[in-house]
Amino acid sequence: MRRFEYHEPASLAEASELLLCLGEGAFVFAGGTDLLVEIRERLRRVHHIVNIKRIPGLDELMISAEGGIWFGALVTAGRIERSSEIARLYPNLHDAVRNLGSIQVRNRATVVGNICRASPSADTIPPLVADSAEIEIFGPGGTRRTALAEFFTGPGRTTLSRGEIATGIRVPPPAEGSGRVYLKHGRRKAMELATVGVAVSLNRSRGTCSDISIALGAVGPTVLRAPKAEAMLRGAVLSPEMISAAANQAMAECTPISNVRSSADYRRAMVGVLTRRAVTRALEATA
Amino acid sequence: MNKPHVPVEARRAFTIVGQSVRRNDVLEKVTGEGLYTADINRPGLLFGKIKRSNVAHAKISRIDTSKALALLGVKAVLTHEDVPRFLHYGSPHPRSASCTRDQYILDDKVRFWGEGIAAVAATSEEIADEALDLIEVDYEELPGVFDIDSAQAPGAPLIHEVGPGSNLVLPPVRVERGDVENGFAEADFVLEGVFEGGRPVPAYMEPNVCMADWDGSNKLTFWTSTQTAFMVRGSLAEVLGLPLNKVRVLVDHMGGGFGAKQDLFQHEYLCALLARQTRRPVRMEFTRAETFIAGRSRHPCRILLKQGFRKDGTICARDMKIIYESGAYGSHSPGVTTVGTNAATSLYRCENVRLEGCAVYTNTPIAGAFRGYGVVQAYYALDIQMDEAAERLGMDPAELKLKNAVREGDIAPSGHPIVGRGLEACLKHGITAFDWIAKRTETPRNDPAQPAIRRGWGVGCEMHGSSAYPGIREQGNATVKMNEDGSVTLLTGAAGLGTGAHTALAQIVAEELGVTFESVSVVHGDTDVVPWDIGAFASHTTYLVGSAAKIAAGKLRAAVLARAAEKLQTPTEALDMVAGRIFIADAPDRGLTVADAMGPSKGIPADHLIETGSYTPTKSYSFAAHFVEVAVDIETGLVDVRHVMPVHDVGRVIHPIAAAGQIEGGIQQGIGHTLTEDYLIDRTNGRSLNAGLVDYKMPLSMDMPKIETVILEAAPDPGGPWGAKGVGEDPIIAIGPAIANAIHDAIGARFHHYPITPEDILCALAAQKKE
Repeated sequence: MRRFEYHEPASLAEASELLLCLGEGAFVFAGGTDLLVEIRERLRRVHHIVNIKRIPGLDELMISAEGGIWFGALVTAGRIERSSEIARLYPNLHDAVRNLGSIQVRNRATVVGNICRASPSADTIPPLVADSAEIEIFGPGGTRRTALAEFFTGPGRTTLSRGEIATGIRVPPPAEGSGRVYLKHGRRKAMELATVGVAVSLNRSRGTCSDISIALGAVGPTVLRAPKAEAMLRGAVLSPEMISAAANQAMAECTPISNVRSSADYRRAMVGVLTRRAVTRALEATA
Repeated sequence: MNKPHVPVEARRAFTIVGQSVRRNDVLEKVTGEGLYTADINRPGLLFGKIKRSNVAHAKISRIDTSKALALLGVKAVLTHEDVPRFLHYGSPHPRSASCTRDQYILDDKVRFWGEGIAAVAATSEEIADEALDLIEVDYEELPGVFDIDSAQAPGAPLIHEVGPGSNLVLPPVRVERGDVENGFAEADFVLEGVFEGGRPVPAYMEPNVCMADWDGSNKLTFWTSTQTAFMVRGSLAEVLGLPLNKVRVLVDHMGGGFGAKQDLFQHEYLCALLARQTRRPVRMEFTRAETFIAGRSRHPCRILLKQGFRKDGTICARDMKIIYESGAYGSHSPGVTTVGTNAATSLYRCENVRLEGCAVYTNTPIAGAFRGYGVVQAYYALDIQMDEAAERLGMDPAELKLKNAVREGDIAPSGHPIVGRGLEACLKHGITAFDWIAKRTETPRNDPAQPAIRRGWGVGCEMHGSSAYPGIREQGNATVKMNEDGSVTLLTGAAGLGTGAHTALAQIVAEELGVTFESVSVVHGDTDVVPWDIGAFASHTTYLVGSAAKIAAGKLRAAVLARAAEKLQTPTEALDMVAGRIFIADAPDRGLTVADAMGPSKGIPADHLIETGSYTPTKSYSFAAHFVEVAVDIETGLVDVRHVMPVHDVGRVIHPIAAAGQIEGGIQQGIGHTLTEDYLIDRTNGRSLNAGLVDYKMPLSMDMPKIETVILEAAPDPGGPWGAKGVGEDPIIAIGPAIANAIHDAIGARFHHYPITPEDILCALAAQKKE
């Protein structure tokens, strides 16, 4: 392990101040499951680690059918995974965390960390984007809140500026008659990075799909929405043919690359298959 | 682990052999007390690291270490200018036909991307890493060859000055029996196919690691994770110019090897030299990436297979050309080529065969010995083509394989007559137990509950030799000591890769001697102490070293009984010994314990009884048939292996759970080879594309199918203890073609390569639609 300075601020204000002063080379440490590996593999030049685990309040997890979810930056994937309320109300998020890394990693890794890492293939992002989650940010200018869909600017890049710390995630309560699904595609059943991930959240009222959001992972520089595919289904009585047509539209809306994990063509084809399956299952879940 | 099914035949009344006794190393392993090489520490330890090339083929025109040496904490830097220029085998069988003498410790020429070009010893790993970056290297790049075709093209750049030329590692291996032309003339139809194998790596859990320490008498003590401690001793002594008794090689627990850890990997020599220069202990441990880049993979290959068949299913001619890609060095290519090529003479009977095997150098990482040693590739092609023949004939593939199965008296690949009818027994057992015919003929391929799923069933067969004979004339040795309290010490040179070999050897000693399993302890892994051993490979430890241990234990039993006979004042022949008690066979109440027989009495000191056993085997063959069910998702191309029934003939099973563990592990690796694992090299520049476990996809526990292991004792071999044969390599061979055949059964698409990726499946399905 390379040498670095270690800091343990007691408050968000202190942490923000530190990050501001220390500048580039200072990184927030929560779960550490990415950061420590990147230091060891020399993928990231880290001179300062700012451990936020001593800051009170960041480990809270609140969940209810009326209020939705709020969880702080220190809440691990494992805690989300073990919440039976989340499994019941947000099976999409539950599936995403359940398939993230290994048990050991899930017991360390924070969901906010997974988000801030801003990997296009991060499992937790598509379901949260599909559910219109917001991310709360503390910084030198005070507290701000932004839609998660607008938080990412590219692979590994977010709107966080120097001195800012993501403090928590808020997810709106699930609407009556809503269904939500996250499907992850990979070569293995566990310990896998998504080749493609598709999240669908939809509301059904009086037989029609009153609202829908489709979020696509690992097929663009950030997690993408598929607005045209969504528009094809919004307000409609969903039939298998319509769902297939929307899935084809989603294929046209993604921008995958080819790499060692998969070709772009295959990723695009899987967007079609997974979108169709996810919409169908989300619809079933509303029944 | 599922308990394997071992049908009971008429057998000697064994008390320990055939029992899944608690392994004698299990507590150390599960408590973390077991010492692996990287756990061992020394005061003043330095950390060694290797600088690796970032070009695939080049001359080093300048290498400047001054900045690295100036870094605080750096104690030594070695380049090709500082190390003995000694052409060695890399793979340590200097006197055998398996390996190739084509490596220097460090050379001024680079032959693959990632080859070691310098080594550093420093007071911490971080400083050593930093020093690597400070070594300046100028290369004169040479044109590279990154696949079999470009390496064999006329005028291709030569990678080595040694060898037969044309980038061949060895002259082509040719095997010819019968009259092939005539055989094809008699054929009713001929099948011809080109098969290609990828580049799976063993991915052992414990990365390569060693530690070197020199003492005041210039003796080298060397801890290392190796399957072949005595070969490491031999190669280090040869290269460093030391007598064998000045090199002591130690290996305790190991986290796997799968054949690859028979080689020396460059770092062993460098570690010893860095320690000698600094006069301090030095440890070198590979990163996971280095286990790919600088490790040993299975040989990628291309196979041209042509066979003629009669209408009744008889194979009347077989013509095969197999080209193995060796990578930048020869390593085990001669052995792999010879064994893999010869394997194609057998498995399915054919009187007229013409085989040619080649191994070709390319500027890619090194292929070496790996579980299944050239045979995985050959039988993948052979078994799939049998399935194609069955389809053409309208026969059930298992029936066709059974009809042609090699049997008693047929000439084996080694040139020996086959003992018994093991392969037929495996096929017959599996056809019934797996309910093969009903599954294939009565079960719909579609699953109404899962519209995208197609199910399919396949069978694959294999045979594999225990011991490397005739390529290497091997010897197994054992020393067994009876202590005066009745406890027994077995000294063996056999390595414990994690297979449970030491448990099996202790069982054999206890059984033959007539003592309890718990009273036998095993000393291993110290070349200064244990008898010489060729190494743990070629599925031979139980077969070869087990036989030596049985011989030694048998002699010791006779000596113990002789001493007891004096005390009991009866003839030795009247005595029996069971579970550490010696008694008169006709009057079992009259007896004494081994401790009483051995111990001192009235001024007579205890006897010191030590016996040794040496054994030189020929070869035996184990057999298997794997029956497999797969589910193919025709929309995603994902293949799920749902159920495997491996039926193995191992002659005599010593430890059923350990044998089943070998089989399950082989299936896991084989599923990986066939569906997901491929170490990818950029064919334009030789760079590694997925040297790590993130993007090199091994199946994990969640991906494992239901496995119902059956172990038969159908064809005991007289060469092994009570007929026991090897089981290490067999299970990785049959699973591949079984999966490929099952995929064909599911979706009607035939694949001639591995791994078969989801994209391959979708392409094949799309091509079917166009037709």
